[in-house]
Amino acid sequence: MFLALRDLKRGARRFLLLGVVIALVAILSTVLSGLATGLVTDGISGLRALPFERLAFGEGAEATFSRSSLRPPALDAYAALPGVKATPLGASFANAAPVDGGPNLDVALFGVSADSFLVQRADARAALSGTPGLILTSELEDEGVKVGDRYTLGAADLTLPVLGFTYAGTYGHAPIAFTSLETWQQIQYGNGADGRFSAIALSGTDRGLDRAAKATHTDVLTKDEAYAGSPGYTAETTTMTMIRAFLLIISALVIGAFFTVLTVQRTRQIGLLKAMGASNGYVLRDGIGQMAILVSIATISGVLIGGLLVFALSRTPAPVELNLPAVALVTVSLIVAGILGSLTAFRRVTQVEPAIALGVES
Amino acid sequence: MTNQPALSLDGVRVAFRDGLDERAVLDDLSLDVAGGELLVVSGRSGAGKSTLLAVAGLLRRADHGDVRIDGTSTAALNERRRSVVRRDHIAFVYQSANLFPSLTAVEQLELVGHIRNEPSGEVRHRARALLEDLDLADRADQLPAQMSGGERQRVGIARALMASPTVLIADEPTASLDPERAKVVAELLASAAHDRDIATLVVAHDSAALQHADRHLRLDSGRLHHVED
Repeated sequence: MFLALRDLKRGARRFLLLGVVIALVAILSTVLSGLATGLVTDGISGLRALPFERLAFGEGAEATFSRSSLRPPALDAYAALPGVKATPLGASFANAAPVDGGPNLDVALFGVSADSFLVQRADARAALSGTPGLILTSELEDEGVKVGDRYTLGAADLTLPVLGFTYAGTYGHAPIAFTSLETWQQIQYGNGADGRFSAIALSGTDRGLDRAAKATHTDVLTKDEAYAGSPGYTAETTTMTMIRAFLLIISALVIGAFFTVLTVQRTRQIGLLKAMGASNGYVLRDGIGQMAILVSIATISGVLIGGLLVFALSRTPAPVELNLPAVALVTVSLIVAGILGSLTAFRRVTQVEPAIALGVES
Repeated sequence: MTNQPALSLDGVRVAFRDGLDERAVLDDLSLDVAGGELLVVSGRSGAGKSTLLAVAGLLRRADHGDVRIDGTSTAALNERRRSVVRRDHIAFVYQSANLFPSLTAVEQLELVGHIRNEPSGEVRHRARALLEDLDLADRADQLPAQMSGGERQRVGIARALMASPTVLIADEPTASLDPERAKVVAELLASAAHDRDIATLVVAHDSAALQHADRHLRLDSGRLHHVED
């Protein structure tokens, strides 16, 4: 890359426009990546925070709590397995209307047994086993909700006090409210609950789970697989992936178009190199190497600026998160897309005749 | 001068389509240039002089005939092998110097070594020595835009000599220079041909180039004719 490096160094202004465009694409990709990670993390932070490894849903529920309704015999089948801890989990969405003033809340209501392995704090166990009430995710405290505030839950018309706050996160972007399983059943089914709940949280060995799943007509999913059931999760990840894919394609096309124009402008120079005995490989290495260096510098600059933007946004309520593997993927993808884009001029470079150097058309 | 022709064209024909007709710009043309000989070819505009240089320098193929470099036939070589022969045996000097705008004078010469994959330290040393020989040492680190037309042309000649060629092809190397600079460049080409034993084929019209010619031929109707100066 003897010529390419000196061209970049001494003709930097010619490459400035392309460099800025690539850097802007890299900034946008990095911010989108941060937003995608933040949105996904935000949507499933409640499930992620709970100390289980697998969830058993009703057959065909596809990780969606509202499609899954299980009864105690299913729980017993799992609980009977040696080395397996199993506990019922009720999950639904509800509106919590303030009785004495305060913000109106749309919450993801999680019903758990006070003595289950899902509840690890002693004060939470005590709270859930006493007077029926709500333990809310701590973010709601910042919105003005206080311990002792009373909320009427959805259609059940059941009024519950706020017992306390914990880090509970969100599910489907709704703040999580924990309550006892019995209270959840009361809100969800009224007096006809018949012991029903949404899913079974599992911890410990996975030995025997398949057999239990078959016997109870349930599906056992890992925690990661269970995220897919979070409302909006699949749509968000698909949308973000598509936007990023389009950005990569646009980036490759822009670089390809620029490189093609550059090749046309440099036709005589390419002919001159070939007249000096440079092979097609030498000329291509020089040109593609030049693009690779330019794309790498512009992409890394853009990713660094984008990373700083995401970092700044993460200090605000915006759902963004800087995920280093995701940022590394953006960087590598953009560089690869750029190099692939520059290959579009491959044929044009190889077709330049050395006779051009003498101004002779073959 | 040696007896072995360093450059031989044997029965070369190149024709172009001109509507329904075919016009031969080189017609069964044969030519030998010995090592150390400076041969000048002149001819009217459109006579095919540049085509002759392109064929002789292996920049384009003839429709018929062969070009031999140092006795080696090139007619049957593929493009890759032809580019290797060009790299190792042939150098060009152009009318407008054709320097790379982003390279300094010394780097123009170093590029030749880089294309040949030669060790960079040795190449740099040789490039500076060559520029010094051609009285261009003080221009070594300047870009083409910082040089005069005559200096650019001399750097172009230095770049050609950097390849230690068997054959040097020059396309009107003095045409765009004033008479004084043209004289310097013509002398330089002549001494390069004679001192370094390079078969030099020059297309030129001006007296500066012609007065140093060992032989002068005129290209007319696709054939070369001897000219008595």
